Amino acid sequence: MRIEKCYFCSAPVYPGHGMAFVRNDCKVFQFCRSKCHKNFKKKRNPRKTRWTKAFRKASGKELTVDNSLEFEKRRNIPLKYNRELWSKTVEAMKKVEAIKQKRQSRFIVNRLKKGKELEKAADISEIKKNIHLIKAPHAGQAKQLEDKMVQKLAEDVEMDE
Amino acid sequence: ALYNFKKIMVVPTAKDFIDLTLSKTQRKTPTVVHKHYQIHRIRHFYMRKVKFTQQNYHDRLSQILTDFPKLDDIHPFYADLMNVLYDKDHYKLALGQINIAKNLIDNVAKDYVRLMKYGDSLYRCKQLKRAALGRMCTILKRQKQSLEYLEQVRQHLSRLPTIDPNTRTLLLCGYPNVGKSSFINKVTRADVEVQPYAFTTKSLFVGHMDYKYLRWQVVDTPGILDHPLEERNTIEMQAITALAHLRAAVLYVMDLSEQCGHTLSQQLELFNSIRPLFANKPLIVMANKCDVRKISELSEENQKIIADLIAEGITVIETSSLTEEGVMQVKTEACDHLLAHRVNTKMKGKKVHDVLNRLHLAIPAKRDQKERPPFIPDGAMVRRKAMETDAPKRKLERDLEIELGDDYMLDLQKYWDLMNPDEKQDRIPEIWEGHNIADYIDPEIMKRLEDLEREEELREKAGEYDSEEESEDEEMQEIRQLASQIREKRKLKILESREKNTKGPRLPRTAKKVERGTLEKDMSDLGLDMTDKDDSHYAQRSRSLVRKRKREVSAPPTSRTRSQSASRPPRDQSGVRDAKMLKKVKVLMKGSQKEMNRQGKKGESDRHVFDLKPKHLFAGKRKSGSTSRR
Repeated sequence: MRIEKCYFCSAPVYPGHGMAFVRNDCKVFQFCRSKCHKNFKKKRNPRKTRWTKAFRKASGKELTVDNSLEFEKRRNIPLKYNRELWSKTVEAMKKVEAIKQKRQSRFIVNRLKKGKELEKAADISEIKKNIHLIKAPHAGQAKQLEDKMVQKLAEDVEMDE
Repeated sequence: ALYNFKKIMVVPTAKDFIDLTLSKTQRKTPTVVHKHYQIHRIRHFYMRKVKFTQQNYHDRLSQILTDFPKLDDIHPFYADLMNVLYDKDHYKLALGQINIAKNLIDNVAKDYVRLMKYGDSLYRCKQLKRAALGRMCTILKRQKQSLEYLEQVRQHLSRLPTIDPNTRTLLLCGYPNVGKSSFINKVTRADVEVQPYAFTTKSLFVGHMDYKYLRWQVVDTPGILDHPLEERNTIEMQAITALAHLRAAVLYVMDLSEQCGHTLSQQLELFNSIRPLFANKPLIVMANKCDVRKISELSEENQKIIADLIAEGITVIETSSLTEEGVMQVKTEACDHLLAHRVNTKMKGKKVHDVLNRLHLAIPAKRDQKERPPFIPDGAMVRRKAMETDAPKRKLERDLEIELGDDYMLDLQKYWDLMNPDEKQDRIPEIWEGHNIADYIDPEIMKRLEDLEREEELREKAGEYDSEEESEDEEMQEIRQLASQIREKRKLKILESREKNTKGPRLPRTAKKVERGTLEKDMSDLGLDMTDKDDSHYAQRSRSLVRKRKREVSAPPTSRTRSQSASRPPRDQSGVRDAKMLKKVKVLMKGSQKEMNRQGKKGESDRHVFDLKPKHLFAGKRKSGSTSRR
């Protein structure tokens, strides 16, 4: 029993789900659901369809080259069952998975950092341009003038005294 | 010509034949003709009918003549058989009659067609045609007997057994009830009737068997009685024909127990009288029914008879169809004899040399004196020995299955060849959280994992995974808040401006009265200080802005000014006497507005119905609910 990868969106295809299509040149395409199958039949390129993993990896939105990704590889030479190797492998798998998740999320966070800077800049420019919508340009001026006048008067009075 | 007795066309009775042809003529030729047609057309019409009928008769009769086999063209065995069964003379006569009939019909048609050329009216032509058809039909009516006979012949002919006269055949003969049919039932898949009365088998039967990878025919004949040839009846004659024409191995069956009703000496007599038919044929005498009485149990004279036969060089084999004793022996002997005989005949013939000249058996010459015996590996020798001795074989799965009965579970894992045999019964994990474990299996996985973990530690130390402080000081937060406020305000303004009707009539901005309250509110929202603005210019009661020009006193007053509009009571207070009435009025007002508001209308003038036939009220079945909501 194997969990295959959907050819179009790279989602896991569990047994009993999805469809497989075998082409005349003996290449097998697995699909996770009819959405992917229909897109394939429409000859859409998964590398250009934005919601697929293939697009995300091809356009650098997700982590592509990393050591932790090298662990999961389809092996064509089967090994004879060996209890300790299998149990060690399962443990290793768990650890590798944890590391992989960490690295992938870190990658995405780093990618999105730039956006935050841009947001800040946009906010500042927005304020500079349109502050007049919430605050009149001469908003506190009258009061300020008054205060100044009062201050000046007070000073004058002091000076006189 | 290759005759297939099963494919002879059905011969119809005379009556049927006539009906068939006449109705065909009526259907397949034009039917309409009138007096006033041109004479050549009328003549042609009737000539066509005559010719059509003649053609049909001719075709069918020719078909019959060609389908039935000519006794001179077929194998003499079949010719003789047909003679025996159907009488050669009668057969030939019948066919001859048919031929004559055919010719007569042709002549009739020819004559009448010639006469038709001189027919000068429709009536005359019609009569000629009638006469022609009538004569043809009469000719055929006279052939009734022949046709009936031929039909019977055809039916019987198609049911004859297909005996190939040229292939290997074994022929069984003897008195009735001696056991010929039982023998053929035993040896082949044929199912011939076996009964205690004589002449159960009334015709030839064929069975097929295999020996030495060849197909053999076994022909069962009806029993033959001992009287001269002239006195034989049809049934016996079939047997004689078979004996005479088929080049087969003859198996003469004798009944040792004399249960057939004839003594052994009588059987010997018969044997001697048929002897001439056995020339050039391998012969075997079957002493049948030996389960009842063996040769050794026979009387002296009978034993002498048997001994004489053996002395003449004829093979005598004791058989019993019941116990199958000797049946195989007879079969093999007869087949071998016949094969040898056939080979000899072929060798004596001329065609053999053509083949022999082309055959050459190549034997490689020895290159040295070294002995090269065939090599048999040890394993094969051991296996062969194990096969010979009845040593107990190893326990098979099947034996285990039978032993355990219902509890049996097929467990193929116990045959696995693993490094640690005690792991054979393990349930191997295959999947974990959406990943295949088989994709991770690697003998060096632990080493790689260690490297990875080391790398990870280094990265952590380098501070990659430190979550950045939300270095958002107060200032940035304020900025963000302000920016979001600005955006909101902008969106609201945009929505407001969208609601305006720019295409309709427009009042100038100054025509609208600006409320003091709204003005002060907006300005204070923008941050300006709007307290005590009572003596600002906008808070004064508006004076008339239009300065009247100096006119004559008698000039009538012009349109009302704004000042007057200011002094008029507002609409919701005009005509209202007191507070009680005001309340009531308000309630009435709200009541009249309720429906409009509920429908989201701007006012009583907003009467546009957006959807005259909403789909949900006009479509679908009326299940539960009224038409107002369905």
